[in-house]
Amino acid sequence: MTEKLDDNARREKPRGFRLSLDGWAVTLALFLSLLVALGVIKKIPW
Amino acid sequence: MASSVAITQVQPVGFARRVVELLPGLALLAGVGYAGKFLERTINVYGKAHHLTLPNIEYVLWAILIGLAIANITGVPAIFKPGVATYEFWLKAGIVLLGARFLLGDVVKLGGVSLVLVAIEIVVSLVFMTALGRAFGLKPKLTTLLAVGSSICGVSAIIATQGAIDADEEDASFAIAAILALGAISLFVFPVIGHALGLNDLSYGLWAGLGIDNTAEVTAAGALYSDAAGKIAVLAKTARNAMIGFVVLGYAIYWARKEGTVAVGNKAAFLWSKFPKFVLGFLLISALATASIFNKEQLGSLANLSRWAFLLTFAGVGLRTNIFEMRKQGLRPFAVGAIGEVVIAALTLGLVFGAQKFLH
Repeated sequence: MTEKLDDNARREKPRGFRLSLDGWAVTLALFLSLLVALGVIKKIPW
Repeated sequence: MASSVAITQVQPVGFARRVVELLPGLALLAGVGYAGKFLERTINVYGKAHHLTLPNIEYVLWAILIGLAIANITGVPAIFKPGVATYEFWLKAGIVLLGARFLLGDVVKLGGVSLVLVAIEIVVSLVFMTALGRAFGLKPKLTTLLAVGSSICGVSAIIATQGAIDADEEDASFAIAAILALGAISLFVFPVIGHALGLNDLSYGLWAGLGIDNTAEVTAAGALYSDAAGKIAVLAKTARNAMIGFVVLGYAIYWARKEGTVAVGNKAAFLWSKFPKFVLGFLLISALATASIFNKEQLGSLANLSRWAFLLTFAGVGLRTNIFEMRKQGLRPFAVGAIGEVVIAALTLGLVFGAQKFLH
């Protein structure tokens, strides 16, 4: 029997690479942290 | 959380167009958020210059109030909506960056205590909400969605559960509207009760993280109390978010058995698909900070980046809250959610008081 959730997942699966909202948020945060660690971003004021 | 806002890697032209579509809303988020910060500073400077004792209203509250005023007086024009919807993205990026303000040992200690409290809260609130839904004659799947939304993670839990148990769109809309309305109320009520009870930052932060449903509202309610309480609230909520996969999996199996379908094949893959990945980013940044990868000034910069991300989030919380739209939703789902919310708030407050001795 084909499983219901797997069916849903297949139907919703887009063509090509897809990064979730979480994935993009983590990527951006890590990239900014890297820039800060490397000294590319010197200081962020508040 | 509106996990439907997904950014897809597509053809360059499509990607550029999508970015352009986001710009007006992003500008609105930044404008509203910065106006809040400007108002806080201006009122403080004015008070000092004229030797007046003016109430110190934090930028958080100003940003939310300005957003609420726009959303409910003029409405948010369609051109701004795609960009305003990115507030969830900034929330998650802000939480990951907030990891720099925690030593991993504190995360393990506070997160561990939070996880124990979360486990108790989830079990009690799921049972209570299910009984309450039955008593009010709500449809079983709507009751499930409200129970999950109240006990774990607000909107994102509802969306994840809707897909897993094949619930109606309408039920999900009712549940989301009720959770959002109650979150907006909690955002203002929790700080007032916290101050009235004289809660310290740690207790209040834990309570807000455990008792308020949606992550954006938790972050705002924590920051409204104090910076330190905001940190703790986000940590407790992050621990709560980490449980989402297990509860959704449990309900998927329950409903599949009840309806005679097969729910989940690979349970580990299912859990991973539902696990909020920003929790891992938060832990990674915290581990890097603990390993002294960043110097003091760099830690300050990361903390400030987190604040800027939250500034956009707070503006989004106000801008997406339309009181008139919420009033159109059903009264019974709202009543069940509201009663559940009050009981869960009282329960989590009791849990926090009970956990005090393990926190020092």
